[in-house]
Amino acid sequence: MKLYVYIIRRLILLIPVIIGVTLITFYLSHVNIGMLIATYEGKIHTAARREEVIISLHLNGPIYEQYLYYLTNLFTGKWGYLSPGEPFDAGTPVFVEFQRRFPPTAELAIIATGLVLLMGIPLGVLSAIKKDKVVDQITRLIAMAAVSIPVFWLGLIIIIALGPNSPIPVPLRITAEGQLDWAKYAFTSTGALQPWVFSASGGLSRPTGFLLIDTLYYHDYPAFLDALKHVFWPAFTVAVTSFGVIIRFLRSSMLEVLGQDYIRTARSKGVPESFVIKKHARRNALGATTTIMGLFFAGLLSGVVITENVFGWPGMGTWLFDAAENSDLGSVIATTFVFTIVIVVANLVVDILYSYLDPRVRLD
Amino acid sequence: MQSDIRDSIRARINSFLKSLYFLTRSPISTAGLIIVIAYVILAIVGPIIVGGNPTIMKQYVNYIPGVGYIFNNPQPPSVRFPLGTTFEGFDIYNGIMKGARLDIEVAALVVLSGATIGVILGSIAGFKGGVLGDVIMRVTDIFLSIPFIVLAVAFLLIFGRTLQSLVEALIIVWWPLYTRLVRGQVLVVRELQYVEASKAAGSSSFRTVLLHVIPNSIYPIFVQISLDFGNVILTIASLDFLGFGFAGPNLAEWGNIIGLATKGASGVLAITRYPWTVAIPGLVILIFVLGLNLLGDGIRDVTDPRLRR
Repeated sequence: MKLYVYIIRRLILLIPVIIGVTLITFYLSHVNIGMLIATYEGKIHTAARREEVIISLHLNGPIYEQYLYYLTNLFTGKWGYLSPGEPFDAGTPVFVEFQRRFPPTAELAIIATGLVLLMGIPLGVLSAIKKDKVVDQITRLIAMAAVSIPVFWLGLIIIIALGPNSPIPVPLRITAEGQLDWAKYAFTSTGALQPWVFSASGGLSRPTGFLLIDTLYYHDYPAFLDALKHVFWPAFTVAVTSFGVIIRFLRSSMLEVLGQDYIRTARSKGVPESFVIKKHARRNALGATTTIMGLFFAGLLSGVVITENVFGWPGMGTWLFDAAENSDLGSVIATTFVFTIVIVVANLVVDILYSYLDPRVRLD
Repeated sequence: MQSDIRDSIRARINSFLKSLYFLTRSPISTAGLIIVIAYVILAIVGPIIVGGNPTIMKQYVNYIPGVGYIFNNPQPPSVRFPLGTTFEGFDIYNGIMKGARLDIEVAALVVLSGATIGVILGSIAGFKGGVLGDVIMRVTDIFLSIPFIVLAVAFLLIFGRTLQSLVEALIIVWWPLYTRLVRGQVLVVRELQYVEASKAAGSSSFRTVLLHVIPNSIYPIFVQISLDFGNVILTIASLDFLGFGFAGPNLAEWGNIIGLATKGASGVLAITRYPWTVAIPGLVILIFVLGLNLLGDGIRDVTDPRLRR
């Protein structure tokens, strides 16, 4: 099978999965009708408005009709409004809030994945090469401890270690008028105004929403360094708690590859050992490791959700828990949907990547 | 059938005892086993030792006439409070002693229910295959794509913040892992000759699966259970830490104790002044999960005949 045929086949297989995901979010959002109506009412709470919402969502109609209208709303970006319980931004469309919250989470997840690969691959390979030596024992212990540490606890321990100047946006709760401040995340631990952290505030247009890229785009280097400090520690926390899985899997697949005949052949014809490890063994072991990347990524995103709350990073995870605290159904369902779709897409990309690296999987 | 099952079970018990012997020969696995046993004992006797309501932490407050109740700032470990107190005067020692029972109960419920559902669906999907098998596996894929912490939060919000919805939410996230695992095992075992012999002898599919396929694919499930036990405990602790668990702030749960430390007036940074409020309960979780993982690794090693020498 050609690669593009395989990709098309995988894309067709994606359709039932996405229908399944929407069925789950449909069930979750429609099981508590009162909360659902409150989500779509926005700021106005009158009987007439309520009636309007019921008609627009076709809540009086049969269940399949409700589902069809739910799908239409979902794919046209009508995800409801933030509930009035939210301390700020009440009445903002959920979709707008999602566009603000998604880039920071993506940024954190990408940097964390980079750190995992940077730390995990060398350790896994080293552990397999030095099997049963001291290095191997230490690495296995690190991997074991890494999967056992509570993510939030590691974050808190890092905060304790960094001391009172830890890079955490200090909540600024009350303005002079006694109102809750919109710029909850606008101040950093250093006390300097940091309009970058919370998008669409301070009248700045954000070309990408990614903190590190936007600060560079505006040539604001002090803000870039500050942003780097803010993103590094949460990313490090997530990376340390997720790389154990990679180390362990890479070690075992590396050991398996090293026992293969072609490795013996390569060694016996005099290929230098470092070349055998890099070109023959590691490349194949990494190919096998891509198969667990989907599950790994789901775990990593769970870690991101928790870590964001610890470090006050203004992404989807912080949003999820703020919304849940305020019974904001629209935001919670939106986060569930977005995270699930992200993982589904990540799985797809990993499968295609694997079929590119190892064409044997395309045979069946 | 009855005596067959008895024979089958007796053989399993013998092989289990043999595995236990091999397990205790490795010092690391023994350490894991001892840690887990110690925590189970703690779960049973802990609440009895400290007394009081087994799910609620003891709170120390000062009553000042004319002012009302004063909640103290965290106190460092002392004779009166062996592990110190956290915000609002909750005694950390009291909470840790009571926390093990709840965590182990919930984790056991979630993991065992998840494994049971997984064994049933996985053996159907693996042994029967066909359209039904495909449908089961596609549904499994969908559920595997939902991050468990997000689904748990959605469930707790929609169905109320009770213990029941927490357990339901976690079971919904945990069964797909077992289904996938069991299906993989069954696909291998199904092709073996003793299964063929059983079919040739005329036994029904149900009997073949129950007596020959499931018992011979069960060990990886034990490994997965011991590894997942720790994951469930980490998830419960995370939810309670973030203040979206299933009960109020006085719940005796390890994650909740850590969470209390970050909910003072000055936010997260307060913990830099009161490190024991975070460090001690976190170590309790870490050691338990580490013990479970060491035990799981040990079980994997002894049940893999290639590694048993």
